[in-house]
Amino acid sequence: MTHTPEIEGNRTEELVLQAREAQRNRAASRIQRVGDHLKREWQLYLLLLPTIIWLLVFLYKPMYGLQIAFKDYSIFRGIEGSPWVGLEHFQTLFGNDQFLRALKNTVIISAYGLLFGFPVPILLALMFNEVLNAWFKRVAQTIVYLPHFISSVIIAGIVITAFSPSAGIVNTILGWFGVDPIYFLTKAEWFRPIFIGTGVWQEAGFQSIVYLAAIAGVSPTLYESAVVDGASRWQMMWKITVPCILPTIIIMLIIRIGNILEVGFEMIILLYQPATYETADVVNTFIYRQGIQGGQYDLAGAAGLFNAVVAFVLVISANMISKRFSRTSLW
Amino acid sequence: MTCVHPKGGLGMRITKLTAMALASTILTAPAWAEDDLTIVSDPLELTIHMHWPRSQGYQEDYPVELAAREMTGIHLKDATSGKNTKDNYEAMNLLLATGKLPDIVGGNRIQQPVNQYGPEGAFLALDDLIEEHAPNIKAFFDERPELRQAISAFDGKMYYIPYLPDGKFGRAWYIRQDWLDKLGLEQPDTVDELYTVLTAFRNDDPNGNGKKDEIPYFARDWEEVLRLLTLWDARSSGSDTYHDFYVKDGKVVHPYAQEAYRDGIANIAKWYAEGLIDPEVFTRGSSAREYLLSENLGGVTHDWFASTSGYNTALAEKIPGFDFAPFLPPKSAGGVRMEEHRRTPIKPDGWAISYSNEHPVETIKYFDFWFTETGRLLSNFGVEGETWNMIDGEPVFTDAVLNSDTPVNTQMYTVGAQIYRGYWMDYRYEWQWTAPAAREGIELYDANDLLVDQFLGVAFDKGEQAVFDKYWPSLLSYMLERQQAWILGSGDVKADWDDYMSTLDKMGLEKVLDAMNSAYARQYG
Repeated sequence: MTHTPEIEGNRTEELVLQAREAQRNRAASRIQRVGDHLKREWQLYLLLLPTIIWLLVFLYKPMYGLQIAFKDYSIFRGIEGSPWVGLEHFQTLFGNDQFLRALKNTVIISAYGLLFGFPVPILLALMFNEVLNAWFKRVAQTIVYLPHFISSVIIAGIVITAFSPSAGIVNTILGWFGVDPIYFLTKAEWFRPIFIGTGVWQEAGFQSIVYLAAIAGVSPTLYESAVVDGASRWQMMWKITVPCILPTIIIMLIIRIGNILEVGFEMIILLYQPATYETADVVNTFIYRQGIQGGQYDLAGAAGLFNAVVAFVLVISANMISKRFSRTSLW
Repeated sequence: MTCVHPKGGLGMRITKLTAMALASTILTAPAWAEDDLTIVSDPLELTIHMHWPRSQGYQEDYPVELAAREMTGIHLKDATSGKNTKDNYEAMNLLLATGKLPDIVGGNRIQQPVNQYGPEGAFLALDDLIEEHAPNIKAFFDERPELRQAISAFDGKMYYIPYLPDGKFGRAWYIRQDWLDKLGLEQPDTVDELYTVLTAFRNDDPNGNGKKDEIPYFARDWEEVLRLLTLWDARSSGSDTYHDFYVKDGKVVHPYAQEAYRDGIANIAKWYAEGLIDPEVFTRGSSAREYLLSENLGGVTHDWFASTSGYNTALAEKIPGFDFAPFLPPKSAGGVRMEEHRRTPIKPDGWAISYSNEHPVETIKYFDFWFTETGRLLSNFGVEGETWNMIDGEPVFTDAVLNSDTPVNTQMYTVGAQIYRGYWMDYRYEWQWTAPAAREGIELYDANDLLVDQFLGVAFDKGEQAVFDKYWPSLLSYMLERQQAWILGSGDVKADWDDYMSTLDKMGLEKVLDAMNSAYARQYG
């Protein structure tokens, strides 16, 4: 590892000479250092290896296939054998009003999801942290984790039933207040609240785990000294817990921003109707209808590449902004 | 009919030398061919991909396979890709992407990939092979040239032997006859009478629970609401696929871009607003029929004969007097009685010969075997003496098969009959286990001239396919979006019509129709 040389008057010259010497030997010594390091820490690298292989096989190798976005792809002819068509698929996408609408919907749904969905797991984690009764805490945590483990198909079934005009609990309750039944799932204006609400209900509990882990990592000495100073629980939460888990929150936020175009589309496919396409159709569902159902993998590939590029730009910018203002960053 | 087993018989002696001679002999003397079905004297193994809804693979110990092996000498080895998925397209794409194709590629929904990749060289064109080596298949298609046209790829060649369903009727109109009787009404014979009946179902409490909870018209598939369009002389589809094109005056057109459609949708919207159509029809899903009938709520639907008739027995105890009866399609506003849905005469299912097959002649002869009388009986009913017997010249299932708790079709799948090879279904197979109530309905429909011609689809060339792929999915999305909005009442079809038509035009409907029609003219012209 490098260290800042101490500068002590007449030693400066000596240090400069040493540095030059070191520079000459750097190439050789670096190899030696890496070798020593590996010899010392090989078990750690061994543990890391499966993940690296997984990344290479499932995320790097498929990048080779991205070229179909620029080709007239035929499965039988293969990636190599398919002719190049340049930017044709991108022109097709951006010339399609439904794609542009889907893009808009994706951004809106994600932004709302971020706005309403992102704080909930943090609040949950803070609340769990304040619960003193261990038994109640365990039961409550299990209840909020549970929906995460239920398949989307079943969740969608529950949602469709809950919002049904004749038998649904929502319309039954509205009925007590004299409101006529509303056929929610065919109303474009209701789709986003229902979809985002479902997502929060399904995932907030599970997502709170990472924050609970961060809270568990806060040094108890901080709380102990706060108690000595006479701080209330409320003050401890705001002055100790929240600042201590802030880096985790920011990292999660950056990751979340990177996924802004990745709306969970299986749930949308299960819940949307032609009548709600106007607000519900997102890039992935558009691709599903246009590309996969019609076997147009090249077009779907172009849209996927576009998604990835946007996500990349967003992550880089979010990371830069975060680095500048909070000194927390992914890398 | 008897069948001579080839073991040590006639077959052993002749086939080895006479591949060509055999073919020409069969042409002149098909009756003789029935007696000897041997294709190869030394057993020949062919690999097969067969991915179908009930099973993702071909079992080598199907009794039907064993019998066919005995008769023909050809032995199919299972080499199915994508056994971990139930999606046929996915399995086929997986297979094609590997590039190593088994000798025979078969299963569900193979038409599109086979006709697309066949001309690229993945599958063999079968026309010459059929001409020379498959007299029974040739005879079938010579009698039905329109089916041959319908399954051909854009280059005019045939790349697969389809599964050919038999029987005409699929869906029919059903009504709660006991409700009609209770309210003193007749079966509706015209669209106006249907309106009166549905209104009465809505208002007059036919289920007698004192609540206005009846659902006059319901459907398992929401698209069946669109069948009501035929009551106002519009169309909902030209084939057994929803939202399909149809042929009008020799031209391919789309039903959702016709004036009659505008008026039909306006009427459906009115019925929906009045509560005559299930208000939750769009989200109720596939259990709608089960739920609404067993809760004594549903009045009228449009659904399959066999399964819908089954409720009369299933619900006899639960709902006293339950009588869900088929009735003829009501006459439309223009006086036409039309049943738009029928079984398609050809399915996109079947089998094809891949480019890497080293025995195309033997393979096409094997395909032809299933079109011989023996082969057809085997593919429909299973092995003679095991699942059926020939009685007075008719194949009749054994009592054990007919009285089993397992449905007959499931039993057939288990023995390897009625599976997705290229074969010609024999309607006698289904008729034997069709419930009496459904048989009456089918006979009622059969006695009237109700069916309309089916649009059997076109095979696009590359340019046409590109136009279709580019414009059609978005057009259809837009059509369905507007359609649902109009039915739900969040738009007025009459007010929106001009705007709708000009949007369709802007989105490329004209181009899609041009592609359709040029393909249609080439294929059926």
